Amino acid sequence: MRKRTLNRGLAGFWWLTLAFLYLPLAVVVLFSFNSVNSAAHFADVSLRWYHQLLGNEQILSAFRNSLILAIVSSVIALVIGCLIGYGMYRHRHRKLGWLIVLIYLPIVLPDIVFGISEMAFFVQINRATGLLEPGLGTMIIAHVTFQIPFVALIVYSRFVGLDPTLFEAAKDLYASPFKRALHFLIPTLKPALISAFFLSFTLSIDDFVISFFTAGPESATLPIYIWGAIKKGVTPEINAIASLMIGAVLLAALVSLLFNRPRRR
Amino acid sequence: MVESSLTASRRRAVVGETRHLLFSVTPGAAWITVFLVLPSLYLMAVAFMTNGPYGLPEMPLSLDAFRQLAGFGFLGWSPGNAYTLLRSLWQTFVSTALVVIVAYPLAYYITTCREKWRPLMLLAVVVPSWTNQVIRTFGWMNLLAPGTPLSDLAESLGLIGPHMGLYPSDFAVTLGLVYNFLPFMVLPLYAAFEKLDVAQVQAAQDLYASPVRAFWHAVFPQTLPGLLAGTVLVAIPAFGMYVIPELLGGGKSMMLGNLVARQFSGGSNWPLGAAGAILMLLATFVGLYAMRRIGRRLGGGEEVVI
Repeated sequence: MRKRTLNRGLAGFWWLTLAFLYLPLAVVVLFSFNSVNSAAHFADVSLRWYHQLLGNEQILSAFRNSLILAIVSSVIALVIGCLIGYGMYRHRHRKLGWLIVLIYLPIVLPDIVFGISEMAFFVQINRATGLLEPGLGTMIIAHVTFQIPFVALIVYSRFVGLDPTLFEAAKDLYASPFKRALHFLIPTLKPALISAFFLSFTLSIDDFVISFFTAGPESATLPIYIWGAIKKGVTPEINAIASLMIGAVLLAALVSLLFNRPRRR
Repeated sequence: MVESSLTASRRRAVVGETRHLLFSVTPGAAWITVFLVLPSLYLMAVAFMTNGPYGLPEMPLSLDAFRQLAGFGFLGWSPGNAYTLLRSLWQTFVSTALVVIVAYPLAYYITTCREKWRPLMLLAVVVPSWTNQVIRTFGWMNLLAPGTPLSDLAESLGLIGPHMGLYPSDFAVTLGLVYNFLPFMVLPLYAAFEKLDVAQVQAAQDLYASPVRAFWHAVFPQTLPGLLAGTVLVAIPAFGMYVIPELLGGGKSMMLGNLVARQFSGGSNWPLGAAGAILMLLATFVGLYAMRRIGRRLGGGEEVVI
């Protein structure tokens, strides 16, 4: 009897927490359909902010920047991270403590310290040599730096999960290292490569703090644009672009749910 | 001696392996060294320089920045920076404690549900944290602003003055932190609850332990590793938080991250900002180290390693 009341209480608490978690997102989506410019009063349903979005050159360019940044940095991080992951696996019996420290550094460093030290460094290099002008280039460098560890760890753990005799078999089958990579390593790594790419892409799209400090005047991404708009005074257009981004995340969650569903025969 | 005992082919193999290690690891190691280790070392050096006329660091070396961080300026001691430091510690402590209070029953409840629902429930907890932090925080600004139902409710209860709104305030920052970090606590706690050894609980009940004692002696110790892992994942990033205090605190409730960031933009003072960054780094490493030590003593320390 007592147990049942406890469980009912917990169920109530669960739904309350869910409401707490989704309320701020729901408010943003709701007010994106507001016909008047107010965050407190909902007048009528309209799509006018979405229409304005399409004509806003700044938002479109921020969207473009976000995509370019995420794709380019993920590709670079995938190549470099894969190499490290493979090196870590192949030489796992050696003392690689320094490498582990190096790889964990971008993960444990607080975002703000990460972003600011890169900004300070880039500014000084730029003053001295004229290289590393703040912009998409410096942002790509910064993003690759925080993506490498995740790619390396994903690839490494995929290798650890493999049967070590497979490597011997591959050595017997294919003489050249290049053929071995093409016919054995890349196909076996494919799931790890895909998930590493998507994780890098998501980390990049989602990042605000590090981008904010390494960005130049022309290279605002969507989160940076939204930040600026909030700081200048809220316009309902932010609700519209934010709702689209929330929609994209929900879609991604749905897709991951469909793909990870345990298959029954 | 050892060299000569190796046959030529084995030596070649060792050289080949080393070359392989260098080839595979060098690009990434060099990238992180050049673009993160060097910048961080530079930032640390900046903290020991003097603030120049344009906010840029200059020689000679000095401890001025740390003195300023402790509140000593041209006009003697002022409490501003000390308040910011204390507020950062306090906000971190309160929000972590609140996150534990909410996440603990939640994680337990998920393990009592049917197995086929659990992945969906975990996903439901995690999905909001996939949306952009700026957007989530903006959502709370909309909810807590003056004139919104929540603010009106707080006003009629006499919690806040008329037309104040719940945001911007310290309370809004705490709420934003709890909201932001809840999933990071639920996941490790859920993992701990899921592999809980129920036999221990039954043994306690068989020995007529009261529910409270049974919980305290049979359940709580088993969830401690998850709790510690969650605390690391929440407290360390909370201490360095920038976005939430900046938006929900409205300039009144600065935390250390805002103090640091400010020194690199408007009121430039790079050395002071760098000194703040060093403090943040120290807190991070002390926190990680302490949790590892405690985790090892409890056994099952693997989960505590991030």
